[in-house]
Amino acid sequence: MAKQSFTTGQILTAAQVLSLQQTAMLGGAASAKTASYTLVAADAGAAISMSNASATTITVNTALFAAGDTVQITNLGAGVCTITAGTATVNTSASLALAQYESGTLDFTSTSAAIFIKGAGAAATSGGMTSIATGSLSSNSTVISSITGGYVNLMLFVKDYYASAGDYLNIRFNGDTSTTHMWTTTNTRVTSAVNNAGASGFDSNDGAEGGTGSDSNNFLQMTIFDYTNTNTMKSGDWNWVYNSETGGIRCCSGGIAWKNATPAAITSITLRTAGATTWLGGTYELYGVK
Amino acid sequence: MTKLQITEFNCETQTQIIRDATSAEIKQMDLDKANYEAAKAETRAQATAKAALLNRLGITAEEAALLLS
Repeated sequence: MAKQSFTTGQILTAAQVLSLQQTAMLGGAASAKTASYTLVAADAGAAISMSNASATTITVNTALFAAGDTVQITNLGAGVCTITAGTATVNTSASLALAQYESGTLDFTSTSAAIFIKGAGAAATSGGMTSIATGSLSSNSTVISSITGGYVNLMLFVKDYYASAGDYLNIRFNGDTSTTHMWTTTNTRVTSAVNNAGASGFDSNDGAEGGTGSDSNNFLQMTIFDYTNTNTMKSGDWNWVYNSETGGIRCCSGGIAWKNATPAAITSITLRTAGATTWLGGTYELYGVK
Repeated sequence: MTKLQITEFNCETQTQIIRDATSAEIKQMDLDKANYEAAKAETRAQATAKAALLNRLGITAEEAALLLS
């Protein structure tokens, strides 16, 4: 039952008692939403469900709730429902994004601040990998966008990728096209070090022609550490194998760094052909790692 | 002429769209392509020069690597 003020002598209806009972059993009055919604004072003590195939938000503003008030939020829809701080402050130790069938409780500590406690259905708070994106490479460029926070590291796999005319895979973060922000050190199978800083993006190539054809078995794995930090550069490691047109099989590993003057959380990863040709094959998987 | 396109997968909504590249993206692709072609030409020129040198010296690449090890 939503929080309300009772008056002396007021006679409760059966519906009100049933609702109070539901609230006492940690349920709360059900309030179904199908579109983005801004909480109102009457939502204190309520259980809000969101159902939408696309992304939605629940916005939290100040001066509506008192310390101790709670609002339970459950996402029933396929679209991610994100708890959004409007004029209020919302902190959490997990993610503010609720995937389908995840739920959490807003616990207000004052009229202007709440803690979001992710509960039933939530991904493990420590350990494990969560699939964030999977798909096939296509077009001239494939972009994995709207990567949410809530994980410690990202792990990317790109398998069996190939394009025409010996083109090869190049990776950019947040669409950054600068030629001075990406640094890689790559040790090839012949142990020669190649530093291809100066390239726009991370080139999975050591100078030979890129592998071409569906039997190239090109493979890349990249781990990006602390991808949400906004204080320093991003770093990681990578391993890649490709069946070069001119150099045979190349097995390489090394480190990567993305150093931008204004560090930002990584929210998108572009998987592009270096020569702007079209992807002819390949799949990708992106995992959030805790 | 084939339209340049971008495939975009949204992690929040778990949906994918294929859209035409914007004019800025097309401009960047043209630049990327030019840089790629230049790098490729340089790599090929180096490979050709290397092969010519090995041929003049009368040794194989493996033998050259052995000399430098």
